[in-house]
Amino acid sequence: MLDDTIIAVSTPLGFGGLGVVRISGHSALPIAKKIFHPKKTRQKIPSRHPVLGYLLDSSSNERFEEAYLTFFPKPHTYTRENLVEISCHGSPVILEEVVRLGIKAGARHANPGEFTLRAYLHGRLDILQAEAINDLITAASFKQAKISFRQLDGSLSKTTTVLRQHIIQLLSQIEASIEFPDEGLSISPKMIAKTLQRAENTVTKLISSYDLGKSLSEGLLLTITGRANVGKSTLFNTLLEKDRAIVTPFPGTTRDYLQETIKIRDALFTLTDMAGIDTPAHPVEKEGIKRGKKLASAGDGILLVFDASRKESHEDLILLEKFQDKKVLLLFNKSDLPVKMDRKKIKHLHKNIPSLTISALKGTNLDRLKEMIFTQFVPTQTGSEEVVLHLRQKLLFEDILSCLKKTKRMLEEGYSEEIYVEEIRKIIPIVGQLTGEIQDEDVLTRIFNRFCVGK
Amino acid sequence: MDYDVIVVGAGHAGCEAAYVASTIGLKTCLVTIHLETIAQMSCNPAIGGLAKGQLVREIDALGGLMGRLADETGIQFRLLNSSRGGAVQAPRAQSDKALYRLTMKKWLEDTPNLTLFQGIVSKILTKSNAAVGIETLDGYKLRSRAVIVTPGTFLNGLIHIGLQSYPAGRANEPPSILLSQNMKSLGLETFRLKTGTPMRLHKNSIDWTGFTPQPGDKIPVPFSYRTKKPLKNRVVCHIGYTNSKTHEIIRQNLSFSPLYGGKITGIGPRYCPSIEDKVVKFPQRHRHQFFLEPEGLDTSEIYVNGLSSSLPLDVQEKLLASIPGLDKAKILRPAYGIEYDAILPTQLLPTLETRSIANLYLAGQINGTSGYEEASAQGLMAGINAALKIQEKSPFILCRNEAYIAVLIDDLISRGIEEPYRLFTSRAEYRLNLRMDNADKRLTEYGYALGLVNSEDYKDYQEKQARLKRVMFFLEKKKFPVENGESISLKDFLKKPEGKWENVIEYVPSDMFLTDEEKRFCESEIKYEGYIKKQEKEIARITKLDGEKIPRGIAYTNVPGLTREVIEKLEISSPRTIGEAKKIPGVTPASIINLHVAISIHRKQKAKNVSRGTQKRNRNQKRK
Ligand SMILES: Cc1cc2nc3c(=O)[nH]c(=O)nc-3n(C[C@H](O)[C@H](O)[C@H](O)COP(=O)(O)OP(=O)(O)OC[C@H]3O[C@@H](n4cnc5c(N)ncnc54)[C@H](O)[C@@H]3O)c2cc1C
Ligand SMILES: Nc1nc2c(ncn2[C@@H]2O[C@H](COP(=O)(O)OP(=O)(O)O)[C@@H](O)[C@H]2O)c(=O)[nH]1
Ligand SMILES: [Mg+2]
Repeated sequence: MLDDTIIAVSTPLGFGGLGVVRISGHSALPIAKKIFHPKKTRQKIPSRHPVLGYLLDSSSNERFEEAYLTFFPKPHTYTRENLVEISCHGSPVILEEVVRLGIKAGARHANPGEFTLRAYLHGRLDILQAEAINDLITAASFKQAKISFRQLDGSLSKTTTVLRQHIIQLLSQIEASIEFPDEGLSISPKMIAKTLQRAENTVTKLISSYDLGKSLSEGLLLTITGRANVGKSTLFNTLLEKDRAIVTPFPGTTRDYLQETIKIRDALFTLTDMAGIDTPAHPVEKEGIKRGKKLASAGDGILLVFDASRKESHEDLILLEKFQDKKVLLLFNKSDLPVKMDRKKIKHLHKNIPSLTISALKGTNLDRLKEMIFTQFVPTQTGSEEVVLHLRQKLLFEDILSCLKKTKRMLEEGYSEEIYVEEIRKIIPIVGQLTGEIQDEDVLTRIFNRFCVGK
Repeated sequence: MDYDVIVVGAGHAGCEAAYVASTIGLKTCLVTIHLETIAQMSCNPAIGGLAKGQLVREIDALGGLMGRLADETGIQFRLLNSSRGGAVQAPRAQSDKALYRLTMKKWLEDTPNLTLFQGIVSKILTKSNAAVGIETLDGYKLRSRAVIVTPGTFLNGLIHIGLQSYPAGRANEPPSILLSQNMKSLGLETFRLKTGTPMRLHKNSIDWTGFTPQPGDKIPVPFSYRTKKPLKNRVVCHIGYTNSKTHEIIRQNLSFSPLYGGKITGIGPRYCPSIEDKVVKFPQRHRHQFFLEPEGLDTSEIYVNGLSSSLPLDVQEKLLASIPGLDKAKILRPAYGIEYDAILPTQLLPTLETRSIANLYLAGQINGTSGYEEASAQGLMAGINAALKIQEKSPFILCRNEAYIAVLIDDLISRGIEEPYRLFTSRAEYRLNLRMDNADKRLTEYGYALGLVNSEDYKDYQEKQARLKRVMFFLEKKKFPVENGESISLKDFLKKPEGKWENVIEYVPSDMFLTDEEKRFCESEIKYEGYIKKQEKEIARITKLDGEKIPRGIAYTNVPGLTREVIEKLEISSPRTIGEAKKIPGVTPASIINLHVAISIHRKQKAKNVSRGTQKRNRNQKRK
């Protein structure tokens, strides 16, 4: 299964000006040579040194693109196999074509994550780190990329390792008291409970970080809301810098809600433009509003738009009340027109809600707005340094949590050590699944290093 | 052919091996250096303890001698962890060392088919990579179909006291240098281990008032299921402590320690550290516990459990002098350390036969273990398997979920060792099922089938099981009133942490009277029921995984993550299943995972190639 050679675009499609196609496996170089010719013909391809040349379609022998080829011989490569990287123009069309030619020349299209799988199977990385690399490749947002980097340098592994050490320490204390009953090593239930609680806190934090990790990898959900005709769709489009929603001077033209994703300082935000909050007339619109409202309450933040060229209405103030405890950014729109709204009063009434005066139509204060969106909505404090990004990891942490809780319960109910210790013993292999390491003897090693036992 | 089986060395492993081989019906010869030292306890005068006690019960259930002998010669009995649950309780007994030796000698002398012979074995005779007999120092040759080698600490033994050292197998006993050379020349890889023993003191030179007595249990618990006569405590042990003065003396004299002075290169056991080890490794401790244990009824020797040392004799005297109560103590035998050769146990099959030399079996300390019970258990298994092979029957191999014996052997042969190996209950994955109270249930059938448990004992066993079954059934059915008019079964009551046998006794009819032993069994079965059931499921799952077939002609070189060494081993052994691959020494758990992943990917790809069409169709249907 690992004897074939795989190929895939390794930079995400549609990003940046440069694209990279990777070929990994035994025949990586022979295959690459069929689709790439060095500029200086007969040039031998050196190791780890980019060579300039052309991509060519072997069937027609037609050059179609200038490219660099770099050859990394095994085993010091990402996959620990022979690896070729072809860098060329980042256009998806060209990249796909390179892959197509590579397949024609004998490579197989890699399955998602297969490069990483191979790296892992060749014993290169522990599983957490492997997953982190995959995330790095597909990391859409800045924060996630940072998290991935941290997992890559073993940070989640580190937390997990620390957790493992705590569990092993606890286990070794209990086991020592069981194995050496004459040596007075008993540990008080109170101490055990304390350690369990500490481990439980760590695990709980990690589990709750999963939601954050997820929202980051999928983008934060922002809803633009406000009364009809305040300029929501205009703002939506201005932020997108392309026309998507139909902008009309008449109320109620946004019939359904629209969603688009934007990137601010490398963080992803999915914007939802929903119909005005005013009572809608049309059934389609009604549906749109309903779904939009749901989104607004489920989302990560709200851009509340007021029309500053009009006096504040009762509805405006009600909306403000309603979203009080949500993450809200208040926008006084249409600043290009004479301002009639009493901004001072509103700001005074809701001191904790940040606000900004803009003109969606003219693009006034747009940069400031983006800045505020970023600082307002990207979570900085997660309570835990590490973020759990994968469902698999989260489920394993949940298993650990349930073992910890069960142990605590049994401890309280007065079960004998050898029974509740079974629950603690279960945790070690689960942690092993998280870090991909399998180690025996650890508990015993710990016992001997910590306790002076034996006669 | 002189014998079917020759056993070399009448230590704890050798005695058991010789006994079972001859009892199974094979003509057996036990050759040992001195007939006076048969079953000599080289170190402490005690049998049992955590995991070891369970081991002795397993040996007993299979028909071995150790349990009965420990009961016969025991002079103080304690059930360890009696306040905890049955899975971590274990019997321990002080033995009368001399009586232990003499009784074992007598029992062996009386064993049919068994010949004892005094001689120093210098060579294993082989013919085309199979053992065919032995040769003694005086050139005498004996032929046999199998040879079981159990020379304990004697292989190339080197005793250290301070910076002095001399070759010896045990204090003042000749070392087996030629035999060690011979084992190496047979291609067996050896490594160096060390252990040590404390000084023996004259009991009249000790001021006993300074120490806390540690008496035996009110109701002694026997090791053997077959012991019928009531046991009696005849001696009391005592507990004492070292102090900072003692530690100071040790620190000042570390340069005279062969270990800290760098003379000893062998690896010692962490669980049985010398007093100098304890002082060095745990500088924050101001005292260390020790036990004063009588070596027997007819001797004045007192074993100082906890003060094992290889410091010079004068330092030993000084450090004793720093301990109130031992300040005038007379050393009868000095403490010493010993280095010896062991054979890398990964060279063994699960039957304890060596992989490279057919019909050559190794058991006991030679395999890197330490402890009488560990030695005994291996001797028993080597003896059984040597006999079975000669009888052309299939080998007797236990699983890790069945017995500590299997945990021990499996650990040795598949993981190898770096320090003298001692069994611990935490080494067992299925501790709640490997109990002293059910060892008979786990193993007696095997012992009977092997011809090691006689029919009378087997009948007793069957009756006990039938009785227990009846009682368990009763406990399940019989209701018991609790608060607010409700009632639960006795079993459900016993399941609770606070549920004790005393509380239900009044509801149990007198014809269901149980012995303490049987009560312990019932309590354990009930209290652990949930876990045992879950573990049984897990065992079934693992058994299934182990049964996973490895495709024929698989190219291991293409399986990622396997080291060259592992690839080589797999290619040589060509295992048919994952389970078999697991058993190959040196094949690490990580490589098993890689192998497993590779096989499942291989299979998935094959399946995909075959049914790609159908899969696509299914997917389309789902979309609709
Ligand atoms: C100094 C010392 C300290 C120890 N301390 C501890 C301890 O603290 N804890 C612990 O658990 N265990 C300890 N032990 C180990 C314990 O004694 C052994 O684990 C156990 O006795 C091993 O049993 P065995 O049958 O393998 O070997 P042994 O009991 O050593 O028996 C070996 C037998 O083989 C015979 N023999 C040897 N070579 C030949 C030959 N060439 N020909 C014929 N016969 C031969 C010997 O005479 C002897 O009878 C210690 C041993 C020693 C020597
Ligand atoms: N002058 C001015 N007009 C604006 C501004 N923003 C939106 N409008 C106009 O207000 C009207 C309603 O805008 P629209 O975006 O459809 O409002 P929505 O109903 O909130 O989505 C349109 O005629 C826009 O051109 C602004 O900043 N300045
Ligand atoms: Mg609109």
